[in-house]
Amino acid sequence: MSAKSKQVTSVAYSESAIRNNLSIVEYCRTSMAALSGCTAGILGLTSLYGALFFVCATITVWLMFLYKAGFSNWNKYFISRKSLLTSGFYGQLFTYILCWTFIYGMVHVY
Amino acid sequence: MAVVPKIILTIGFFSIFHAALSAVQHRSYLRINELQFTRLPTDIIVQTLISLVIIMYGVLNVAGDFKVIKASAGLDNKSWETFRNITSFYTFSHRGRSIAVDYES
Repeated sequence: MSAKSKQVTSVAYSESAIRNNLSIVEYCRTSMAALSGCTAGILGLTSLYGALFFVCATITVWLMFLYKAGFSNWNKYFISRKSLLTSGFYGQLFTYILCWTFIYGMVHVY
Repeated sequence: MAVVPKIILTIGFFSIFHAALSAVQHRSYLRINELQFTRLPTDIIVQTLISLVIIMYGVLNVAGDFKVIKASAGLDNKSWETFRNITSFYTFSHRGRSIAVDYES
C-alpha cells in the first residue's frame, strides 16, 4: 500500500469551539420544538398534520442554521451538515408533542 | 449581547400570544352561535406562522455566535517569527558567554 493511494487529510478541531456551536444548536432546537408545538396547538392541527408541521419546522430551523453559518462555508463551523438536521430528533419530538397537546387543549378544548 | 434580537423576540412572543387569544375568541364565538368548527380564519393562521418565524429568528440571534471549529483558526495569518516569539524563553546571559572568543566586555 503506497502512501499516495491513502491520503487522509487530518484536521485538528478545537473542542471548545465545537462544544460551543453544538450548545447553541441544542438551545435553538429545543426552543424551536417548544415554540412550533405551541404554534401547532394554536393552529389546531391534528394527527399527521402535526407531525408534518414538526418536520417542516425542523427543516426550517436547519436552513436557518445554514443561513446563519453561511451556505457556502458551513463546514467552518460544523463537521457534519446531516447530523445538524437529524441529531436529537426524537427528543425534540416529545417536547413538541407536549407543547402541542397542552396549547391545543388550552385554545381549542377549554 | 445586542438588544435588537431581544426586542424581536419580545415582539414575536406578544404576536403569538395575541394570535392564541384570537383563536380562543374565535372558538368561543363559534360556541355561542352554535356553529361548526371547520378551520381558523386565515389572518390568525398567517399571524401565527409569521410570529413563529420571527421568534425563531430572534432565538437564533439571542443564542450567540458560532465559533470556527478549526484549531488553527487564529494562527493562519501569523508568520513563524511572530509565533515563536515567546518572551519566557528569552536568554540574556547564556553560559557560553564565558568561552566565546568575540564577546565584548
